[in-house]
Amino acid sequence: MRRTTALRLAATAVLTGLAATACGTGSTDDPANAGQTSQAAQPAAIDTGATVDVRLVLEPTSLDIASTAGAALDQILLDNVYQGLLTRDENNKIEPSLATSYETSPDGLTYTFHLAENATFHDGTKLTAADAVWSLQQVTAKGSKNPDAAALASVKSASAADDHTVVVTLKHRDTGFTWGLTGRAGIVFKKGTDFASLAGKENGTGPFKLSGWKRGSSLTFVRNDAYWGKKAKVAKVVFHYIKDDNAANNAQQTGQTDIETAADATLLQPFSDKSKYTVLRGDTTDKFTLAFNNASGPTKDVRVRRAIRRAIDNAGLIKALGGAAKPVGGPVPATDPGYEDLTAIDAHDPAAAKKLLQQAGYGDGLKLTVQIPNIYPTEIGDYLASELKQVGIQLTVRQVEFQTWLDAVYTKHDYQLSLVDHAEARDLYNFANPAYYFAYDNAKVQKWYAAAQTATGDAERDALLKKAAQQVSQDAAADWLFVSQTLTVVRSGVTGVPRNFTSNRYDLADLAVAKKK
Amino acid sequence: MTLYVLRRAALLVVSLLAASVLVFLVLRLLPGDIAQTIGGIKATPAQVAAVRHDLGLDRPLAAQYADWIGGVVTGDFGRSVLDGTSVSGQLAEKFAVTGPLAAGAVVLALAFAVPLGIVAAVRRESRLGGLVNAVGQFGIALPTLWVGLLLVLVFAVQVRWLPAQGFPVDGWAEPGQALRSLVLPWLTLALSEGAVLLRFVRSAVLDVLHQDWLRTARAKGHTRTGALVRHGLRNAAVPVVAVLGLQIAALVAGAVVVEQVFVLPGVGQMLITDVGNRDLDKVQGEILLLTGAVLVIGFLVDLAHRLIDPRLRSAV
Amino acid sequence: MTVLRAVLKSRSGAVGLVLVGLLVLSALVSLVWTPYDPTLARPQDGWLLPFSGGHVLGTDRLGRDELSQLLAGARGTLLTALLAAAIAAVVGLTLALAAVLVPRWIGAVVVQLTDVLIAFPVLLIAMILTAVYGGSTWTVVTAVGVGAGVNLARVARAEAGRVLNTDYVLAAHAAGSGTWRTVRKHLLPNIAPTLVVQLSLVLSVAVLAEAALSFLGFGAPAPAISWGRMLHEQQQYIAARPLLVIWPGLAVAASVLGFNLLGDGLREAADARLRVREAADAGLRVREAS
Repeated sequence: MRRTTALRLAATAVLTGLAATACGTGSTDDPANAGQTSQAAQPAAIDTGATVDVRLVLEPTSLDIASTAGAALDQILLDNVYQGLLTRDENNKIEPSLATSYETSPDGLTYTFHLAENATFHDGTKLTAADAVWSLQQVTAKGSKNPDAAALASVKSASAADDHTVVVTLKHRDTGFTWGLTGRAGIVFKKGTDFASLAGKENGTGPFKLSGWKRGSSLTFVRNDAYWGKKAKVAKVVFHYIKDDNAANNAQQTGQTDIETAADATLLQPFSDKSKYTVLRGDTTDKFTLAFNNASGPTKDVRVRRAIRRAIDNAGLIKALGGAAKPVGGPVPATDPGYEDLTAIDAHDPAAAKKLLQQAGYGDGLKLTVQIPNIYPTEIGDYLASELKQVGIQLTVRQVEFQTWLDAVYTKHDYQLSLVDHAEARDLYNFANPAYYFAYDNAKVQKWYAAAQTATGDAERDALLKKAAQQVSQDAAADWLFVSQTLTVVRSGVTGVPRNFTSNRYDLADLAVAKKK
Repeated sequence: MTLYVLRRAALLVVSLLAASVLVFLVLRLLPGDIAQTIGGIKATPAQVAAVRHDLGLDRPLAAQYADWIGGVVTGDFGRSVLDGTSVSGQLAEKFAVTGPLAAGAVVLALAFAVPLGIVAAVRRESRLGGLVNAVGQFGIALPTLWVGLLLVLVFAVQVRWLPAQGFPVDGWAEPGQALRSLVLPWLTLALSEGAVLLRFVRSAVLDVLHQDWLRTARAKGHTRTGALVRHGLRNAAVPVVAVLGLQIAALVAGAVVVEQVFVLPGVGQMLITDVGNRDLDKVQGEILLLTGAVLVIGFLVDLAHRLIDPRLRSAV
Repeated sequence: MTVLRAVLKSRSGAVGLVLVGLLVLSALVSLVWTPYDPTLARPQDGWLLPFSGGHVLGTDRLGRDELSQLLAGARGTLLTALLAAAIAAVVGLTLALAAVLVPRWIGAVVVQLTDVLIAFPVLLIAMILTAVYGGSTWTVVTAVGVGAGVNLARVARAEAGRVLNTDYVLAAHAAGSGTWRTVRKHLLPNIAPTLVVQLSLVLSVAVLAEAALSFLGFGAPAPAISWGRMLHEQQQYIAARPLLVIWPGLAVAASVLGFNLLGDGLREAADARLRVREAADAGLRVREAS
């Protein structure tokens, strides 16, 4: 018995000794390298033969971007492998891509796109207007299985005026049409492509080609040396799919990766040496949305919904997650049109929350269940349960697989509360659609949103969107816990790294590595 | 013996069939399906229904099962609906990681479990034997994933001798890198497996030491160790081999955890991803192959058992 | 009482009893008192070091008191272990009795089915249960209980077969003792010692399995607290706060050690001649890593 104890003591001593050396190295307060918004200028001497290793989080389920949903496909394939008529810049501004320019008719119903004349597919064939028209028609055709088909719902017809001119006519004015073309709905495929054959390969027009996919670990791009535009500055990019933040941090620290996207804000301490690492802080449109079932159950009562919003201190949650997020208070993030600061609506006030619950008849307590897909930090659920407990709501967290969430919450609307990250930009339409899983039905909001879609100018559109967003927030249709920011750790010598919206698209066009001296 | 083998083989076939039905039905309990994976959170219900119909997911279960098992019988274990890769191909690719991981861990575990187990048994009354036994007890009690995390913290992050996670992109084409990536996973897995085996070796040897014939051998003038080496180890090996067979299932499960900790692209990780995507055509093929492997290994272990155990050889 | 005295007489039994006693004590204490509310999140007190702000073992990133969570976690862990053992006992005994008591060909089917189930990965059972019912104590308990139960069935079957073939049972049967009477009077009392030893091992397997399943994200979510869940949440920050990972890991290790040693003590008590039952061990130790 004595021996067993001695052994245990020895083991504990070793472990705590180790702990002592590592202890206190990760203070939450004032991290030395909390993230900047600018990066070093590109050096004159660039190593064009370089390979860059990048940590990403979620792996695509398939590479068939024409039929399989998922931000993980958009993230790597858009801009790099496939290109649309239009694209977005780092600040989500619409920019030309395969269409070098376009004109709009005064009534806003006819768009004329002029295609780059020298663009080619990876298989060597030239890109023509016929390819673009065919691709648009696949999306807009009746029975289209493109998950993004709704983005081009206003299109009436598309035709080729000549080899390099595409004319699109709309059923009605659509302020979202050009934005829709920047996403996967606007991709130009080679005419006649069998989409099913794209599941594991590609034939795009972009500056990179797919060279290999080791499912479950990595995906490799090589430079397209026959690219029609400005060629990429690195020879090869390897995406490593690492879900675990700690493992990703280790990989970056030990040089296994050059770029770590989506770094955990509380774990930046190892990267505080600015001569070795740059930490970039970027914006996202990731709205962590605590959805309420607006159509049934206790949350049908607006007082209950407002009480829940008032009970939760969003600032505390942001602090707990390391500060890489911003409060938003409404459905529109700061980088989308129609944004205004709505954090004053139903701000944190537990006393008011209790009063609201009392009025709603739940003065003696209320039991609720929230469904959270298990891909998000479990601490969010813990925090919500802790906050709601203080106003008398007993919250049970059901951690579910994303597929289960899709089935129960998204499809069957069988839920009370739900938490997911709505990462899509400009997705206010979900609150204008009573059939969506929020089941939020307000005729005024629907009218304003529809009017914003057909508005004649951006100012008119934005004013309408603002009105709609404010109403949605006042009705407590959901609680928007925060909009995340994203941190990217970059090894020194690597420049041109995407900073904003990195989980939606990861444009590698400017990525470069300095030549070793 | 022949009769025994035939009977045992017939049972194996029945078991495999039962396993296939079980796998197929149990997977159908999962909520959601692959059509929803493909459609995501933007597709309309009508779009998802159309995909479901295209994939034949709306057919009766019996028809779907017949389709699948028909392929299995001809050696086609199915394909991924998502990316079209074949189950056998993907399993082979992932097994290039999981296979060496499990095999290396077993070798490592045996390398310290057998000598230590014998020491612990032979010197049972001494300080040394007690210590070895205590180490074994402690090794069993440590959570595998926790050991893995601590090993990474010390050997990869602090002293930087070994990579923290992952497997080389080019796999075994970079043998040095690949081996280095597996050192910490091996240690992690071997610790728990080895501790379990140590206990078995110890009890098996203890059992042998208590047998009458060993006393007889000693009476004939052999030393204790000599008698054990000459006669005892073969007998002690019988239960250890049986356990080793059973450990295969545990190893696969242990490998899943270790693959997660070290971000290794192995069988376990693939299985978790595929279940998550509801790529059931692929999952059922994978599970059947894995379950089948355990059953076949059990069959072989039974045969081996008969061969080394003289008492069983003559029995039917 | 005689069992208790016999257990205490062996060194491992005594150590095991102390460790298990500590586990039970922590669980009981946590029912009435913990230093802080273990689920109370106070981000402004996040990541306090040990012995600061009145937190003996410090706080986690949400500002929850580590010591309180460890105490409350003992409850979750103990509950998981006991429920899993109960399920394993029911599953194991039912399958074992079914195999030996029914007509031979049905028995063979049951035996074969058990072997198929043993080959079926526990992890998969857990994943499917989690997908269908959401992660909860019950999913973990059911997966581990069934997984251990089928292994237990194999052990119990062998033991029951042995007992049924002993002379006195055959004699009793010949003298006209009915099947159920034989089971009650002779079979159950005779296989009970083996079962008890095996069940103590199921307890330790359940503790480890709970930790592993929670780590993989199939555990019980808030407001439940368990050591596996603590490991799962804290492992992300092991580089910054290693102690927060080390404590729950040690707690798991101590409990597993406790159950194992207690099992050894019981075995020694049940079988003074130290007859080794390799088959008995084999059945259960294998589930360790899952």
